[in-house]
Amino acid sequence: MKKTKLGEFEELVLMAVIVLQTEAYGVNIKQELENRLNENLSVGSVQSSLKRLEEKGFLNSEFGEATQKRGGKRKRIYSATPYAEEVLQEMKDIRMKLWKAMPNFATAK
Amino acid sequence: MKEHISPPRWPWKLLKWFLNKDYLEELQGDMDEVFEDDLLTVGHQRAKRRYLVGTIRLFRPSLLRTNRKRQKLNQIDMLKHYIAIALRAFSRHKTSFLINIIGLSTGLAASLLILLWVNDERKVDTFHENDARLYRIMTHFQLSDQIETWDYSSGRMGQAMVDEFPEVEDAVRIGHSQFQPSGVITYQNDHFQTKGLFASPNFFQVLSYELLSGQAESVLNSKDQILLSEDNALRIFGSIEKAIGQSIEVESRFFSKDFIISGVFAKPPTHATLQFEFVVNYDLLIDRDSWANEWNGGYAENYLLLKEGTDIEAFNAKIENFLDDKVNNEKFTVFAIKYSDLYLYGNYQDGRLLGGRISSVQLYTLVAILILVIACINFMNLSTAQASKKMKEIGVKKAIGAHKGSLIFQFLTESLLITFISLLLALGLVYMLLPQFNELTGKDIYFNWLEFLPKTSLLALLVGLLAGSYPAFYLSGFQPVQVLKGQFNHIKGEAFIRKGLVILQFSLSIIFIIAVIVINRQIKFTQNQHLGYDRQHIITFESKGLTSEKLQTFIQALHEIPGVQNSGNMAGEFLWGEDSASGYWTVKEPDGRNHIYQSPKMGYQTIETLNLKLLEGRTFDKRFNDDRKSIILNEAAVKYLKLENPSGAIINYGQNDKREVIGVIKDFQYGSMHQAIEPMVIRFRDWGPNCIVKLKPGLELETLRRIELLYEEFHPKYAFTASYLADDYAALYDTETKESILSNYMAGIAIIISCLGLFGLAAFTAERRTKEIGIRKILGANQGTIIALLTSSFTKTVLISIVLAIPIAYLFAKEWLKNFAYSIELNWWIFALAGISCLLMAWLAMSTQVIKAARVNPAISLRNER
Repeated sequence: MKKTKLGEFEELVLMAVIVLQTEAYGVNIKQELENRLNENLSVGSVQSSLKRLEEKGFLNSEFGEATQKRGGKRKRIYSATPYAEEVLQEMKDIRMKLWKAMPNFATAK
Repeated sequence: MKEHISPPRWPWKLLKWFLNKDYLEELQGDMDEVFEDDLLTVGHQRAKRRYLVGTIRLFRPSLLRTNRKRQKLNQIDMLKHYIAIALRAFSRHKTSFLINIIGLSTGLAASLLILLWVNDERKVDTFHENDARLYRIMTHFQLSDQIETWDYSSGRMGQAMVDEFPEVEDAVRIGHSQFQPSGVITYQNDHFQTKGLFASPNFFQVLSYELLSGQAESVLNSKDQILLSEDNALRIFGSIEKAIGQSIEVESRFFSKDFIISGVFAKPPTHATLQFEFVVNYDLLIDRDSWANEWNGGYAENYLLLKEGTDIEAFNAKIENFLDDKVNNEKFTVFAIKYSDLYLYGNYQDGRLLGGRISSVQLYTLVAILILVIACINFMNLSTAQASKKMKEIGVKKAIGAHKGSLIFQFLTESLLITFISLLLALGLVYMLLPQFNELTGKDIYFNWLEFLPKTSLLALLVGLLAGSYPAFYLSGFQPVQVLKGQFNHIKGEAFIRKGLVILQFSLSIIFIIAVIVINRQIKFTQNQHLGYDRQHIITFESKGLTSEKLQTFIQALHEIPGVQNSGNMAGEFLWGEDSASGYWTVKEPDGRNHIYQSPKMGYQTIETLNLKLLEGRTFDKRFNDDRKSIILNEAAVKYLKLENPSGAIINYGQNDKREVIGVIKDFQYGSMHQAIEPMVIRFRDWGPNCIVKLKPGLELETLRRIELLYEEFHPKYAFTASYLADDYAALYDTETKESILSNYMAGIAIIISCLGLFGLAAFTAERRTKEIGIRKILGANQGTIIALLTSSFTKTVLISIVLAIPIAYLFAKEWLKNFAYSIELNWWIFALAGISCLLMAWLAMSTQVIKAARVNPAISLRNER
């Protein structure tokens, strides 16, 4: 496996971006993750993951429209790069294989 | 509809500085959107709180402003570029470069020398291993009208404290300076004079005087043991090993006996106040004088070694009344002071710490800093004045994307470069001047490169930053568009700041000049003052080891030498003016007042030899069989005792003794002029060993030789060392003389640096106004007008400095003169002289530049468009 340096939270953020498609901007991503994870996140934590992901080449971004709610500030819409999808797929495959290799996990409990 | 509530804006004012600019809009938008959502779900207050917490949580490395983009630039090349630019600027503006270099290097050299001196002063007595725990016992003694502070105390004090207070680990006692056995060492036929110390057996264990031979715990246990200094041991025996176990004879006023050499110690370091050449057991002093071990005898210097972690305040509170039950009175307050502090903080008045040498140390540190400030101001003024020349460079750089930060860095590089070049020169200067400086200050300072290089580099760095900061921020703040369009307007107040700095420089210079005049005049005043006695042609020397009969024979023999005009003797140094006595009274004062009179002990003919003026009665005379009952008063004492007919009056001495006043002399200055003339009782002693001889003028050399021969006849073991009273008198003002010489130099340096700066500014102004001058000349202005025009603004600046400096200098001078009981008047002309000389020097500094500018042919100055 390639050295992807994709952290656990980063992976979740990345997947949220893909899920949200054209609506993937900071607050939406945050809400999406909050709903799914059932915990409160700060703007800072989501944003810093986004910036790191962008820097590592998993995300692209561009300015979107501004809304009244945002005090006239523009959104930044994120989209996953092909490389990101590739890495996500790869990680999923590795996980699947590991799951299969595990002895009967459900009954061991 | 509900009123719109907006999220708090103020955190962003701060966040703007820290967050990456590119993310700012998005982040703020996100935050605001979350706030709006929260408003609907959790209400205003909680939304606001969440918002604030959220902003704090934005502080994450990946969101903060980074230097990443700048780091990609090649910093080394950039630095090279800055240095290249700086060097080019230096060669283009040679005058200002030279002015900066000369100013900064002399300023740095002067302050380095001062700082070396300060450092040396602070090192005194700190060499003891136990320095942090080593204390000295002092006492305040309550008199009726004042409190005296003594550094001596009872010889029993130390041990008693070890027994009584758990905080005290150990105590050392040594004989106080008046109880130190100076004498002659004899080994076979070799005699020589040397200075010793009485000390308790643990002396070498507690204090860190280095033992070269012998065990610290056993070298001083018996009264027959003696330790010699390395020099003494080598001198007598040739080597340290040979000295150990040998027997030598020592003769002093306390004992004359044989000793076995038990150890050899290294010469006490130069940073030790206590200097001695041999050490013997303190018990010998007790044998000679039992008071040395009495509670009422102040014979010892007591050192305490306190246990680690002792709170000195609490300890001092405990020992405060330690002596009360021991001496049966409550007049003593005992306290301990850290031994190494005593040197700098040894001056007490009325029981309060007055300071001491620390005030000179602080004063000189301040002077060093001020000189550096003056040199820095030159740099600041010249750089900002040249701003117009640098504007284009800055404009272009900014236009192609230079950050303000990198410009600041560039200018700081330039100023640091100049400071470090100056530092090199300054170090060279210090290295060359150190021998002279040592001679001047009477110190033995050497320059330890390893110790001082980091410190001096730090100093240069500070100076560089200080000098460079204002120009750097000022120059880098230009707006590129305006600069390149040529619409540059001077930043408001720029000229004002420059003038302010020049005023500061010149005010300091004037204060220095006034200080120099006042100090020099006071020194001269003290040297020339008629003191009420003769100083010229009088020599003094100490007669050693003679009985009083033999001493009288010796003095009689002195009289017979043809070149001797008169001679007398006294106990104690005449000039130190220290001898004092109390207990004289006429009418009993209700509060048991006991005035301490200045009270020298003199022999026959002493008053005549010194030419003290007798007003009535007679002086001590053999024919009248004078003894201790005869006293002579000065006028002040007559007044103090309220005597109507002083001559022949009988006054009380103590409880049941009487003294007869045989004569009255005119008041004279006893001791240095730091002391006021006070009531004096001259007591009679025929055994005083200090001989005072008045020589006939003209024959001094011959007479001195004959006195020396006579001296050797009477004192076979001692060498004859005499000194002139006039020289000794001058030595009383040694500190002040040194201060005056040092301040002369420092003031000179300050003034030179200030004038250099003014020279540079004048040159620059003249250059900038070339065209203006050309046009004025074409329109008919003559040279005088031009000169007046160019000089007037600087003249105004210097005048303002004068007005500002004089009151400050006046206050300082008044404060300093308070150190003297008799001082010069602060005449108005001192201040006028300082002001006028400063103005003249400023004019002189400007003149060459101004005259040059005024003489330029306008056709030439107007021809080129630059």
